[in-house]
Amino acid sequence: MVRLVCFEWRKHFLKRSIIIAMLLFSVLNIAKVYSIHEESSLLANPGWKDLYWKEWADFGGAITNKRIEKLMNIYLPLEQLTADHTASTKYRTPDTYLSNVYEDWNFFRLNYVDPMKYAYDYKAYAQGVVSAAKENIAFYESVDNSYERNKNAVIAKLFEGRSITSFAYTEMYQYYVQYDFSGLLVLLICLYGLMSVFLHEKVTEMDILLLTSKAGGKATIWAKLIASALFVSSVSFWFWVVDFVSFSIIFDSWDAASSPLFMLVDFIHAALNVSLWQYAILSALIKTAGILVFALAFLFMSILFRNALIPFIISLFISFISIYFEEVTMGSGRIWIKVINPFVLLFNRELFRKIEFVSLVGFPLPSYIAALLLATAWGALLLGGILIVVRKNTLWKGGGNRVHLEV
Amino acid sequence: MKVAFKEISKQYKGKYALHNFSAELERGVYGLLGTNGAGKTTLINILVGILKSDKGQVLINDIDARKSGVQFLSHIGYLPQFPQFYKNFEVMDFLKYMCLLKEIPLQQGEKRAKELLEVVNLSSAARKKIGALSGGMRQRVGIAQAMLGDPDILILDEPTAGLDPQERIRFRNLITKFSENRIVLLATHIVSDIEFIANQVILLKDGQLLKQDTPQALMESLNGKVWHVIATDKTLDEKLKRLKISNMQRDQDNILLRVIDDEKPDEHAASVQANLEDVFLYYFGEGEQW
Repeated sequence: MVRLVCFEWRKHFLKRSIIIAMLLFSVLNIAKVYSIHEESSLLANPGWKDLYWKEWADFGGAITNKRIEKLMNIYLPLEQLTADHTASTKYRTPDTYLSNVYEDWNFFRLNYVDPMKYAYDYKAYAQGVVSAAKENIAFYESVDNSYERNKNAVIAKLFEGRSITSFAYTEMYQYYVQYDFSGLLVLLICLYGLMSVFLHEKVTEMDILLLTSKAGGKATIWAKLIASALFVSSVSFWFWVVDFVSFSIIFDSWDAASSPLFMLVDFIHAALNVSLWQYAILSALIKTAGILVFALAFLFMSILFRNALIPFIISLFISFISIYFEEVTMGSGRIWIKVINPFVLLFNRELFRKIEFVSLVGFPLPSYIAALLLATAWGALLLGGILIVVRKNTLWKGGGNRVHLEV
Repeated sequence: MKVAFKEISKQYKGKYALHNFSAELERGVYGLLGTNGAGKTTLINILVGILKSDKGQVLINDIDARKSGVQFLSHIGYLPQFPQFYKNFEVMDFLKYMCLLKEIPLQQGEKRAKELLEVVNLSSAARKKIGALSGGMRQRVGIAQAMLGDPDILILDEPTAGLDPQERIRFRNLITKFSENRIVLLATHIVSDIEFIANQVILLKDGQLLKQDTPQALMESLNGKVWHVIATDKTLDEKLKRLKISNMQRDQDNILLRVIDDEKPDEHAASVQANLEDVFLYYFGEGEQW
């Protein structure tokens, strides 16, 4: 089987065109990350960047009263000076850190005060959530609503003991977790690469030789599926690594790796108690699983036709329609519609940024588990479809059925 | 090894591609002869399991091929019509891949692949990409892959397409050598492919078995039905319209016609010995207009 998989890999994926596409798309991906940094990062301004890392020595790390006091000693005078907008805007006065007091105020507010305040207040906020959830549990118990009671029990357990004790530079992760462009690139490369897996055999008339060879049947079909899964995983892995390395290098830090996921403001209600580095790995794995589901859909489409163009267009259409529905349902309360779409695995922050539930026979199931289960069901359905529809030798058990859309 | 087709029928969109076809094959070279669309490829596809017959069965040593399942495939070497193979594979790698598909042990397969490349005169191209080969060379790769594993039944569908005359002679010699104790089924509409090497010829027309016999017997059956007739430019058109002509040869002012007819076509006509091309024309050539 290993040798069959290697041959399938060589046949379909060891192509110059795929390697060139990978390289060009990687460059494009890096350029995109760079543009995000330039457009959105507070530290894209070299003056701010220098000052940030200079001040980091005083304010980075464990959040202590001493550090907060020191920060407030800088910030509060700036706030007072800028409160009525009458302070001098003269460029580079001797008592300012940056060009003027307004810039100083903005710098400290955006880079240190607001993030540190969020981190400092988070413990109390989480305790508030836990208290509210416990009150809800008592209430729903009294009205005998077990679904809501269970839901609140999960929330209470999730938020119990949450706190942020250390201040870290999270900007890189803030944009990294929002970054979806590479997912689209991976999807396009996979679509291109996978289209030939079954179709190429038909075009070269090799399907007949395969069907009349002992290992050309089920073993080859499985070898194709395994090689395709390896290809999808490799391309995904490559791009997720490029993403992480690019963000780390361009943002010049991956400092907050061990900070909790809820340290990001967007993830204040994070559905998991994991660190940022754990989330980065989990997110990459879930994205890969999502692409695998789409890969099966592409393979299934390619089996039905004799030329590549029609299944390519249909597969592209399926991808875009999934993206469209994902965008429509993103942030909405239509959780079932959201989780039934396997594309949600590629936009998986939607599943983890807040805890949401779907009712599974009256049991509150976190939306990320529902999404994973439904994606598995999609995958199994498509895999079954491939195994049923793929052409077989009539001498095999169950052979002889052939579905062929001649377009 | 014995292969028997028992009343095989196959229809496509209500039209019979094969109709109650029965034949028996034992060791030797069998030429499956018929015009395009006669059902040759359909018959082969049913034999190798690519198609399911609507009716009838294929027996291998008196056992239904379907009962043998995939094990039957290990007895088969098959060269399909117009194979392209994988352009980005080197010849040797492709043969190794075919060994893997046929479940031939690696070392044994590699040794046999080298021998077969020698036989089909492609040793020097072993490291060439298939995409860089000419049509004839690619066809020879196809012949080599079919022979990997020394199958008991070798099935070749239009095997000489793209081969030059020298390669055809080489191919014929190779098949004759290979056919010892084996069945070779060679489907073609090129008569010369099988004229000299087939032990039996199966004539297939509109999906039905027309005749199965030795080439000699088929040719003898046309004794007194093949004639040489001399025509001039003036009488040629009339003769072309009236007679079934297998060959024309100009000899100064006269034209020598080779005519196939149950009756003596002309009072000066001379009876000549039939060849297999005459047999082909006799059975498949009606309605031809020149």
